[in-house]
Amino acid sequence: MTHVIPTKERQMNIRQLRLVAAAAVIALVAAACGDDGDDAGTEAGETDETDETASAAEGGEDFSSILLPKCTGIAVFDQANEGAQEAAEELGIDAPDFQAPATCEDPTGQIDIMTAAATQGVDAVMISNNAAEQIQPAVDAAADAGVTVVSWDSHLESAEGENLYVSQVDLDETGVVMADMALDILGEEGGQVAILSASPDASNQNAWIEAFNTALAEDPQYENIEVVDTVYGNDEDTESYNQALGLVDSYPDLDLIMAPTTVGIAAAGKAMTDEGLCDQIKVSGLGLPDEMAQYTNSGCAPQFALWSFVDLGYVTMHAAYAIGTGQVEAAAGETFDAGRMGSYTIEEDPTRDSGRLRIVMGPFTVYDESNVDEG
Amino acid sequence: MSAGSGRLLRPERLKELSLLAVIGVTILVFTPLVDGYLSGRFFNRVSTSVTIIAVLAVAQTLVIITRNIDLSLGSIVGVTAYVTGQFVAAHPDVTPVAGVGLAILIGAGLGCINGVLVAYGRVPAIVVTLGTLAIYRSWLIEYANARTITTDELPSWVADLPRTTVASWGDLDLRLVFVVALIVVVVLQATTAKLRWGRWLYAIGSNPDAARQMGLPHRRLVLSAFVGSGALAGLAGFLFLARFGTINVTAGQGFELDSVAAAVVGGASILGGTGSFVGALLGAVLIDLLDQSLVRVEAVTEFYRNAILGALILLAVIGDAGLSAWFRRRRASEARPAVGTVPSPAEATPAAPGPAASPIPDHDEEASHA
Amino acid sequence: MRDRLRPWSWEILLALILVVSIVYNASRSDVYLTGDNFVNLFQLSIEKVIVALIMTFVIINGEIDLSVGSVMAFSAAVMATVSESGLWGVDVPFGVAIVIALLVSLVVGLIHGLVVVKTGIPSLVVTLAGLIGWRGAARVLVEDRSVGDFPQWFGELARDDLVGPLPFTLVLAIVGFAVGGVVLHRTAFGRSVFVIGNNAAVARYSGIDVARIKLRLLATSAFVAGFAGILFAARLGSVRGNIAETFELDIITMVLLGGISIFGGSGSLLGVALSIVIVLNLRNGLTLANVEGQVQTGVIGALLILSVLTRNVAERYLLRPRAASPLEPVPAARASP
Repeated sequence: MTHVIPTKERQMNIRQLRLVAAAAVIALVAAACGDDGDDAGTEAGETDETDETASAAEGGEDFSSILLPKCTGIAVFDQANEGAQEAAEELGIDAPDFQAPATCEDPTGQIDIMTAAATQGVDAVMISNNAAEQIQPAVDAAADAGVTVVSWDSHLESAEGENLYVSQVDLDETGVVMADMALDILGEEGGQVAILSASPDASNQNAWIEAFNTALAEDPQYENIEVVDTVYGNDEDTESYNQALGLVDSYPDLDLIMAPTTVGIAAAGKAMTDEGLCDQIKVSGLGLPDEMAQYTNSGCAPQFALWSFVDLGYVTMHAAYAIGTGQVEAAAGETFDAGRMGSYTIEEDPTRDSGRLRIVMGPFTVYDESNVDEG
Repeated sequence: MSAGSGRLLRPERLKELSLLAVIGVTILVFTPLVDGYLSGRFFNRVSTSVTIIAVLAVAQTLVIITRNIDLSLGSIVGVTAYVTGQFVAAHPDVTPVAGVGLAILIGAGLGCINGVLVAYGRVPAIVVTLGTLAIYRSWLIEYANARTITTDELPSWVADLPRTTVASWGDLDLRLVFVVALIVVVVLQATTAKLRWGRWLYAIGSNPDAARQMGLPHRRLVLSAFVGSGALAGLAGFLFLARFGTINVTAGQGFELDSVAAAVVGGASILGGTGSFVGALLGAVLIDLLDQSLVRVEAVTEFYRNAILGALILLAVIGDAGLSAWFRRRRASEARPAVGTVPSPAEATPAAPGPAASPIPDHDEEASHA
Repeated sequence: MRDRLRPWSWEILLALILVVSIVYNASRSDVYLTGDNFVNLFQLSIEKVIVALIMTFVIINGEIDLSVGSVMAFSAAVMATVSESGLWGVDVPFGVAIVIALLVSLVVGLIHGLVVVKTGIPSLVVTLAGLIGWRGAARVLVEDRSVGDFPQWFGELARDDLVGPLPFTLVLAIVGFAVGGVVLHRTAFGRSVFVIGNNAAVARYSGIDVARIKLRLLATSAFVAGFAGILFAARLGSVRGNIAETFELDIITMVLLGGISIFGGSGSLLGVALSIVIVLNLRNGLTLANVEGQVQTGVIGALLILSVLTRNVAERYLLRPRAASPLEPVPAARASP
């Protein structure tokens, strides 16, 4: 064996490198765990605060909750979290824990979190459902364990176990708003529209697309608007970007891409801009002003709409607290107070099968050149 | 010593040839199915969409050659895209060279952590990079703190990069990003062939024990492969930033598998010692071409697309395997006399490719056959 | 003593991590040490665990199967559509629909295996095409719908307790691992799997039918994945095109962290079982401590790197200064020159 005998100096170097490596890993572990510790710290701090503000009229009860969006990394869910934290602070309760699966592609992550919530015995879970009816067994278990389940953004498929749906806007109205934007952009003569959605399994996107198609079919003023295709970008940048350009190539007469998802609309706007297609093909749908401002100002996305996700998270937290503490019964006609957003009355949801309860937050804001920079 | 007269027809070259043929067949098949398929516009679509994965496939190949694997590439892309985006947003007057340099540096740094743990900590690459895949990503989530980088904030040279064109013929553009990918491939292909370093990379992957006995600096070589792959992932991160503009913490998620796929379709073996950078590029192009073509076939509805894509990828690799085998048989019948006269090194196993058979530097072999 | 322990060092390391993580979790959360939580912890990932068992065989054999998540979805989709709308207009009893789905999975595996064996294309590439294709095939069957309304016994199968607090699926996994361990480590077939993974050429010369064993393993892999997909459908109560998406990475992670070499030929099923318990256990503890999913994976990753690194550094500097000859322990003094 002809081993290369390392010199003393090189051995030292190797040793140093190893130490550096070890230190690096330790630092990484420390960073990961450290944050966990921080979380615990803030929680404890806030619990103390709770005691001080416990005198507030309705707030201040011992209340633990989980905010469960579809996945991490999507701006609107972070905004909803912001709103929920704000509400929790006002109510003088522990801030809700923000827990989400790593990707929107794997909906079973939500099932795991819902199941753990039942085990932990938290008071409420606020969910934007991405697992369709597959979350149902986990929701049933949570309901049996006495967990209040409030859905927001994307509702559960079944009313079982769902105490309330906080609807950002009326599902049917969303369809009309999208149809109106299409009409505004295309004008009387209409044209071809293609839909770029999130995943085929997203309850809310599917409901909006259905409402959009219904609106177009029912109202004669939209008769010249033709929907040529629906494609899915799975709320991923790469996929959405490629799908948008695929639509352009497949439909030479395409006039408008309607994307009822913030990821899809931004990717479509960038794709049209990069390929210099903004003169022929416009982009519209549901988008965030921050992410869309450039395309609106350049004329690529003349109009898009959204509601405030901060407000949505805020109202949801108030609703979950009111129902979870038993201060308000989850029944049609009951009214509760949601801080700065005013009061809401629970009603039966006319857009879904009977027996399901909702509140509608509203309103829609339609953004165009005049207001996009303020949004 | 000479590696023999079959040098021009090394297995890697054969693989590249057959991949090219399969790509050609793919184009022939789709031409009648898609309107305007053979157009400059479609070339632009594929050439721009393939760049990021092509660069990553090259990065992956660099590591795979040494009998390692880097599953953290997707997370490195995410971290560099985000951090570089934040930096150029805060310093809009920074020069393009500094911006790209920063991305490459961050990538190289993260690759260096992987490399040190693998080479000097002797932790298996798969454990290290599965770990850093998650660690880099969770760091990004904590660091970004739910803030998204938007196209607005970026200087115009970044946002305009995807449409920057080097040359164009009619509606066919040669985009700068594609040229960058080509340069990366050519430079790496050339340096691994010409430099001792490159041939040693193949040697340690092909037969680690023999390489160690010959006194090759095994650890430094592995480290250099990881640093190089990290740097390339950093470059890909910058390309990602320019292409999508809107960057959140999920940037680059899942790219690790795509890069392995392109590298392996391109002829790299995860057992090490085999693979070429041109092959990685062609592998990436083949997969992207199939995907982009299917999106444009009108008869294929959305729900059928992936089923057909899977079948086509399988068909393409079977066709490629058949072609490679055919080329190899032809080469064998041509090269036999030459092999007879030049005894090959004793440790060369039948599976070992050209460069592995001659890890000892020999400077004259490149010139002999063109 | 150390010589005898040496082949098991990875398993010992894993066992140590397991003990530490259990103690840590128990100290962090008061619901952790409840029976319900322990059953939950396994039940939530039981389908992955079952597939990890066969994946261990496949990887030791020097192959890999990336398509398992997609085959799970495809099998579940076949079962759901056949039971919903019958075959060629004829209603099919639910039990028969399950059998059809299992047979289809077996055919899927035979396709993978035959392509790998007959063309020599790496299984990584073949099953990557499968990863995309079978997911697509599931989409073709169920599109954007959800197919449910399964018989009651089917849901109960996945959820109700069979033995004590243990549901059917968990019992199945435990039995599966016991039988798998015997087959892999105590039979001629198991030895062949190792030999092929070490060096397929040597295996061929020593008279092992390499192609046949590879074909069998890849076929079984898809079959088991299809079976796991049906169990998953039972637990969820309905089937959609996206079920079990991205499962392949979790499953392969469990196997590789169990000390199975990605290059084939080495590892033990005990290691995989330990690694599964560690991963699930850590995830559960971190979830109960409200640590976010992505960060959980980071913690698990860091822990593994750190533990291997510590072991290597300790071995290098405290036990044996030279990498070679594990037989003669050297005084620690000589370790640091």
